[in-house]
Amino acid sequence: MSAHKSGWDTCALCPRLCRSSCPVATGSAREAATPSVIAAVMLDVERELLPDSVGRDAITLCTDCGACQEHCHLHIPLPELLRQTRLERVPRPALEPLHPIEGIGDWIAVESDERPFAQILGTALGTDVRRWHTSDHLGVESMAYSGFESRLERIRAKVGSGRVVVISGGVAKVLQRAEVGFQWLSEVVRDLPQGEGSCGSGGDRPLACCGGAGPLREFHRADALRTGALWLERSTEWVVQDARCRAHLGECGGAVIDPLDALMERVSARDSG
Amino acid sequence: MTVSEVASSTELLDRYAAARDLWPGGTLEFWQGGQAPRPDRVYWPETPEEVARVLQRASEEGVPVVPYGLGSGVCGGARGRAGSWAVDTKRLNRIGPIDASTWTVEAEAGVNGQQLEDALQARGFTLGHSPSSISCSSVGGWAAARSAGQFSSKYGVFEDMILGMTVAMPTGELVRLGTHGDGDPSLLPLLLGSEGTIGVITSCTMRIWKTPEARWLRGYRFSSVEDALDAMRRLMQSELWPSVVRLYDPVDTRIGGKTRPKSDKSRKNARWYRRWLSGVAQLDPVRRRSLVLPLALPGLVNRLFDGLASGCLLIIGWEGRPAVVDALSAAGRAILEERGEDLGAAPGARWYNSRHAVSYKLMPIFERGGFADTMEIAARWSDLPRVYEAVRQAVRPHAVVLAHMSHVYPEGGSIYFSFAGRGSREVYEALWSAAQEAVLSMGGTVTHHHGVGALKARWASAEVGAAVEGWHELKSRYDPNGVMNPGRLFVPVPPRDAGPDPRLHEIDGLVRVEVEASVEDREADCAALGFEQMFPWESLPAPSRWTRSHWQVGWTEVSGRVGAQHCRLGRGPRSASGPDLRGWLAQQGAAHCTVPVVPAGEHWMGSGRCEDPWGVARELLRSDLRPALLEVRDGRLWIGFRGPAARVLGGVASRWVPGGLAEESWAAPVLPSGELESCELTDPECVSVTAQGGFRRVR
Repeated sequence: MSAHKSGWDTCALCPRLCRSSCPVATGSAREAATPSVIAAVMLDVERELLPDSVGRDAITLCTDCGACQEHCHLHIPLPELLRQTRLERVPRPALEPLHPIEGIGDWIAVESDERPFAQILGTALGTDVRRWHTSDHLGVESMAYSGFESRLERIRAKVGSGRVVVISGGVAKVLQRAEVGFQWLSEVVRDLPQGEGSCGSGGDRPLACCGGAGPLREFHRADALRTGALWLERSTEWVVQDARCRAHLGECGGAVIDPLDALMERVSARDSG
Repeated sequence: MTVSEVASSTELLDRYAAARDLWPGGTLEFWQGGQAPRPDRVYWPETPEEVARVLQRASEEGVPVVPYGLGSGVCGGARGRAGSWAVDTKRLNRIGPIDASTWTVEAEAGVNGQQLEDALQARGFTLGHSPSSISCSSVGGWAAARSAGQFSSKYGVFEDMILGMTVAMPTGELVRLGTHGDGDPSLLPLLLGSEGTIGVITSCTMRIWKTPEARWLRGYRFSSVEDALDAMRRLMQSELWPSVVRLYDPVDTRIGGKTRPKSDKSRKNARWYRRWLSGVAQLDPVRRRSLVLPLALPGLVNRLFDGLASGCLLIIGWEGRPAVVDALSAAGRAILEERGEDLGAAPGARWYNSRHAVSYKLMPIFERGGFADTMEIAARWSDLPRVYEAVRQAVRPHAVVLAHMSHVYPEGGSIYFSFAGRGSREVYEALWSAAQEAVLSMGGTVTHHHGVGALKARWASAEVGAAVEGWHELKSRYDPNGVMNPGRLFVPVPPRDAGPDPRLHEIDGLVRVEVEASVEDREADCAALGFEQMFPWESLPAPSRWTRSHWQVGWTEVSGRVGAQHCRLGRGPRSASGPDLRGWLAQQGAAHCTVPVVPAGEHWMGSGRCEDPWGVARELLRSDLRPALLEVRDGRLWIGFRGPAARVLGGVASRWVPGGLAEESWAAPVLPSGELESCELTDPECVSVTAQGGFRRVR
C-alpha cells in the first residue's frame, strides 16, 4: 500500500521530538502516548492497517494541553487535529446547555467535578459564593463542538461582573476564549499546602505543573509557584489541573497536588477544631 | 517481587508503539504501508531489580528481549521482534544527586537527555554531551550505543564520561561497575556499546563540568577539504582541545549557504522560495512525489552539486574559563588562518542556535517520495580523504550525498555522510551495502556513534572478525540462552582476515608498538621516529576509565591473532562497532597496538610548593587546563604543557597556583598504570588526579 494524503503525515514521520513535552507520555512512560506515535497510529488506522479501536484508544490518551504544539519547531497543530478526530470518532452525547449560576454574591466558583467547590470557597472566604456547575458544557471538550463559538457571548453574559474562580485548566481555556477574566483558586486563597510525592518518578520532590500551553502557561506557572511546586517545563512531575490529566496520570500511581483538596482539608480541620 | 508484579501491557496499541525505532529503513517501510514486527508484551520496570527479574524470566522461558529506551536509535537496534518482550526503560527515570563536590551525577537509563542537561544547568553544571537527538534520546541508549555529542572534542564521547554503571543481566544479577561497585572492571568497556545483547544498562554515573564562562565560536572558509582537514589535525595534535570542530564538505556548505552572511536579498529570495514550495506542497499529487524525479537521477544531481560547490566551512569553538579559552583560541587562530578565511562569529552563532533542529528537516523528504539517512564512520587522518572519496563514489549512483566531519581526535576523526535517495527498498539496501564495503576496504571503522543495530551488523561483524569470540564468551557467561536482542550487533558472516597491519603515516600521530613493551621501549620507538608519547602510561592498557582524565587514551588500534585469523580493532578513533574488545584481543598474545604521539616541540614546565598540592591539581583540571604532566613529587606540584600554547598556559597555571610556579626544564612524564583506587587528595599515597578526585595504587 502506498502512502496517501493525511493530516498526520509529518507528525507520524517525526522522530518523536515532542515526547518530552507531553505530560501523559512522560508521566505514564507509555510510548503509545507520544503525540507523534498517536499520529502514526491514526495514519495506519486511516490506511486500514490498524483497527478503529486502537485509534480510539490512542486519541483519548491526549489531554489536549497543547504542549506538543508549543514544543514543535514546526508548530504543527496536532492537538486541534486530535480534538477534531475525537469529536468524529469517539461517541459522545450532545453538548449540554450552559448550566445556570446558582446563589448570590460577587464570587463565582466553577465546579468542574463533584466536589462542593463553591461551598468550600465560601467558607474559606467568609462570604457568599455562587456555584456554576459544569460537566462538559464548560470544559475543554466543549471547544470541539461545532456550536462552541456561538456560546462564547452567552458565557460572557452569564458571568457579567462576577469574579470567577477556577480549578480546571480546561475551564480556564474556555473562559479565556470567551475573554472572561478569572483567577485560579490558589490566587484567591494563598498559602495552600505544598504537595509531596511524584508522578512516575518515585522520588520525593514536590510536584510541578504540566504547564498547559500558550497564554495559559503563565497561569499554570503562577499556580505552581504559589503551591510551592517545582516549575519544570519538561518534567516527569505534574500538578493535575484537569480531570483527564488526573485519570491518565493516575495510571502511574503518583500523588497529585490539587489545590481544592488542600483547601477542603484545611476547612475541614478548621471546622473540626 | 515476581515478574507478574512488573507493569506491563499486551494491548495492541502498546505493542505497536514499541515496534519501531528511528531507523530510516523502518520509517521508509512504515511510510510505504509496511508493519514492523511487534513484541508480544511491553514491560515497564521501575527498578533495576525489576529489570533483572524480567530478563531472568525471559531467559528461563527462552523469550527474546528487546530493550527499548526512547527509541531514537537509527540502526534498528530497538526495532520490534515478533514473539519478544520489549523492556521499556522509561520508568527508570530518576536523576540521582548532582554531586557538586565530586562533579558527578548519577542518572537512570530512561532519563531523557535534555531533562538531564536542564537539571544540571539549573545547578550550574553541564554534562557536555549534546547529540542532535538530545531531546529524544536517553542515558541508557547513549551508553548502549556509544553515543557522541557535538562538543566531543572537549568533553569526550559519552563513554569517556562514564565513571560507573549498573547492568541487569539475564542471570538475574545486577553487575555494578566502576564507581557503582566491585564488579570486574574489565567488563565496563565490554558492556558499553553492547546494545542490549548482554544485559540492560539501568543507570550510569557521569563526570560533569561547570557551565562554561566563555564561549568562542567562529566560522572559517577553506578552499578544499584537504586544507581544512590539515588545519583540524594540527589543532588536535597541538593539544589545543577545541570544544567544537565541524567541517562541512563543499556540497553541504553550498546547500546550506553556510559561508555567506544572509543578505536582505537572499532572505527575500528565500521567503519567495519557501512560499512557492509551500504552494506546490498544497498540490497533493505534486507534494507526494515531488522529490521522486530528482532523486531518481542521483548521478546527475550529484554532478550538478559538484559544479555549484566551492569551498567548505569549518565551525570551530572553544569554551570554558576565559583565560584558557583566550590562550587556546589565540594559538588555534594561528593555525586556522594559514589557509582559512575568517568569516567571523555569525556562522558559529547560526550553527549553535540551530544545532538540534536537523531532525525536523528529514520528514519532508519521506513525505515527498524519498528517503534520508546518515552514516557516521571514522578513520585515521591519513585514511580520511580516501574514505571520504570512496564512500562518495560508492553512494553517488544511488543517492545524493553530502558530508560533514564533526568529531576529531589527535589520531583521526569521524565523517558523517547524509544521503537522500528515491524511496525504494532496493536502492536503500544497495546504497548501504556499497557504502559500508567502501569504508571497510579503505581501512575505516563502519560506525562512530550511531551504533550497529540490525542495519550494520553484517559489516561490524566483518570488521571485528574472529575477535567476536570475546563477545561470545561474554554472552555464554551472562546470556547463556541467547535471549538478549538477537540478530543485532554481531551476526554470522564469512570470515575475513584483517590482513597485515597497515603502514602508519606521519600525519596519523600514531606509532605502533608491542602491547607488552615497557614505557622506556615505547618511548625509544617513538623517539626514533621524532615523536614523544602523548600519554606515556607505565604499562598498557591504560588504567580503568574512571581513574584517568577523559582525554587520556591508552592504545588506539589493537591487532593480534585469534586462531588462524588476524584481527584489527579500533580502525578509527572511538569506533562504535560493538563493545570495546581491544582488551580481550590484547590478551590473546603477541598483540600490537598504536599509541598517540606528538612531535617533539614546544614545552613548558613549572613547579611550586603549596598546601594541598593534589587539591590544587584537581582545581587546575576543573579550570579547563589539560597539562601533559600533572603530579606531586617531593611535596611540590609539577605541571607541564606541550604545543604552541604551552608557555601561555603555563603562565595561566602559575597565576592559579598559590605561590606561583617556577619554570623548570622539561622532563618526560610517566603516567601511573595498573589498578588504581579512589583516595583522599591528602592521602600520601595519591599518585594521580582527575577533576573528580584522587587515586592511589591498589594495595
